[in-house]
Amino acid sequence: MSAKGKSRRSFLINSVGGLNAAWVAAHYHDILAAQQYATKSGEPPKLAFFTEAQAAEVEAMADQIIPTDDTPGAREARCLYFIDRALTTFDKSKQKSYPQGLQDLQSKTQQLFPSAAKFSALGSTDRIKVLTEIEKTPFFNTVRVHTIIGYLSRPVHGGNHDKVGWKLIGYDDSLNHKAPFGYYDAAALSTPSGAGERQ
Amino acid sequence: MKQYKPSTEVDFVVIGSGAAGGIMAKQLSTAGFSVVVLEQGGWGKYGKEQEYNKDEWLQRNLSDDDRLMSDPSKQRNTFRRNDQSKAAPGTHSYGCVVGGGTVTYGGSSWRHLPYEFREASYDHTIPSGTGMADWPVSYEELEPYYTQAEWEMGISGLRVDSPFLAPMTKDYPVPPMPLKSSGALMKTAAAKLGLTVVPGPLAIISQGYMGRQGCVNCGICSGYGCQVRARSSSAVTMLPLAEKTGRCEIRVKSYVREISTDNSGRVTGVVYFDAQKKEVRQKAKAVILSANGSETPRLLLMSKSSRFPDGLANSSGVVGKYVMFGNGVVANGLFEHPLNEYKGVISGAGVVDYVPSDPKRGFYGGGRMTARGYLTPLELGLGGLSPDAPKWGAGFKQALRDEANHRMTINSFVTQLPVETNRIDLDPDVKDDWGLPAMRITMSTHPDDKKSMEFFRQKSIEILEAAGAKKIWAPPVGESRGGAHNRGSCRMGNDPKTSVVDKYHRAHDVPNLFIVDGSNFVTGGRNHPTLTIQALAFRAAEHIIRDAKLGNLRSKA
Repeated sequence: MSAKGKSRRSFLINSVGGLNAAWVAAHYHDILAAQQYATKSGEPPKLAFFTEAQAAEVEAMADQIIPTDDTPGAREARCLYFIDRALTTFDKSKQKSYPQGLQDLQSKTQQLFPSAAKFSALGSTDRIKVLTEIEKTPFFNTVRVHTIIGYLSRPVHGGNHDKVGWKLIGYDDSLNHKAPFGYYDAAALSTPSGAGERQ
Repeated sequence: MKQYKPSTEVDFVVIGSGAAGGIMAKQLSTAGFSVVVLEQGGWGKYGKEQEYNKDEWLQRNLSDDDRLMSDPSKQRNTFRRNDQSKAAPGTHSYGCVVGGGTVTYGGSSWRHLPYEFREASYDHTIPSGTGMADWPVSYEELEPYYTQAEWEMGISGLRVDSPFLAPMTKDYPVPPMPLKSSGALMKTAAAKLGLTVVPGPLAIISQGYMGRQGCVNCGICSGYGCQVRARSSSAVTMLPLAEKTGRCEIRVKSYVREISTDNSGRVTGVVYFDAQKKEVRQKAKAVILSANGSETPRLLLMSKSSRFPDGLANSSGVVGKYVMFGNGVVANGLFEHPLNEYKGVISGAGVVDYVPSDPKRGFYGGGRMTARGYLTPLELGLGGLSPDAPKWGAGFKQALRDEANHRMTINSFVTQLPVETNRIDLDPDVKDDWGLPAMRITMSTHPDDKKSMEFFRQKSIEILEAAGAKKIWAPPVGESRGGAHNRGSCRMGNDPKTSVVDKYHRAHDVPNLFIVDGSNFVTGGRNHPTLTIQALAFRAAEHIIRDAKLGNLRSKA
């Protein structure tokens, strides 16, 4: 990447942090442009809200909410970056819940696994044990909802990288479709009684 | 666009630019009258529809300028079940943009059947506790205006002769939208169960019509503006024609707080807040109130004066009463093969056999069952999976994979009976962002309505079973709540003691005030109101124009 390209990206991304919601709302086209630019560049954008340490914990949670198996999960979809961006744009009101929630996560981790340094240091099985303990909390639900939105919303918002979420659910985003759409309407068209019938 | 000074007395002020207001503006201005349309919302993407948002995350975070619906945190409203309880903050919302609710609606455009205009004399005992009455307008009188609405707006559909469908004198102007998999499955089931399936008539054109292009089945449909102008909203059909006359001005962000009258009891104009919340008084010879079935009665109740102490046009006391928001019930099924319901329009084919009420069922009510299954990616991920699917983890991901595009939903649109105590009035404590009394909704569910909903819930399950669903779930029947299909709150009738407007939409109490929108409904039909609102508007306009041309258009007695 050229130095010019990099500085433009950093400028736009850094310009978002710390500004008020009204400004963000009025300039979201610019913000989106920055996001799109960042996503296209091939490497994850810089974090605008989380510290590196917080980011590791959030990503470890997201990774259990939509795990990676033979298909990409929250990690490959870069849900962390969606969440980071959401917390500095549309979901500023949820900023406070993350630092506190991550502290509670740490407490629960040490309660269940006293020898573990942090949640993200646990293996998958133990992470699931911790998250199952807190799955009824508002914080867990916030992370869950953010992760799902990051996985399935438009890539311009930082998540759904390479449209991996849409690929999983078989969603074609071309916004231009022709019938037949699915198995059953195609079948109806190919049977004699349905031949030529449009409904 | 033509601009009028507020001090200039225009022929008509039209309050609202939606399903009815758009038609009134176009018809009156085309007939040669000067018209000012006051719209509470903004322009939206009027004239540049290709810029409409199709982004789900943005849709959940719209800026004030991009909103297409009212904001319950500003256009505040409250809700309670009965007069004994205190109303709590409500979530009622309505189309609030040039074009109103037609900019974002699913587009269902079913006609009412002939007997839906005379349900009180239908072969049935009138359910107790309801204000069931016949309409002063018959289907036969309204039929030419249904045709006019279908052809002027652009409705796609298939004319079918059936006792469960309204008889038509002319075909639809464009063919129906393509059959979807949900419709194909409904037909499979209907063949086994002996039911009638027809394509849903939609205010979405399936091919080019009147200079607009046909639907491209983008799939981000109901709730979003249409980028290709295939949805036949007031904003792409009526309002551009009204503007072209050079006699119609559309003023956005205009929040009307009062319809003003003089000592003789005639309307002289309206007072509204402009975008800066500055008061403006617009003079008019007559006012057309088309603000929707909940805002219309609220504005009348706010327009109190010494001559009209209970609110304007309310000597009967029924303004706001009998409001209906629409009942519905949902059942879902998962199927072996992909349906890909996210492509195309939201509402496809419909089972129509249960539209008539049947005394043998033991309750009054009917409904129309529509085949759906439309889930956008976020709707799927955040609440679209079957109820026992895990909420996170490997099981959640597997459910996403397995259930995506395999779901069909049957949405039944069911009778809601007109109940006097179900009403819109002014909240005594809560104010909106303009300092005006908030709308208060009082709404309980008639026992027959609950039975209707349960009947359709069971029928939906039968259809899904017959269609071969692998898994079926249907949430229990709920209580009536708010909703977009608000109607019935300024009913029309021949008797000024029991109705608000006459059969030509003139307020019984005020000769130069006309109320034209869903509030005029006497009974609620089967909860698909828009085409009937549009037909009523075309008919009302014809009579208002005829009367005005006879010299009866004036603000002075």
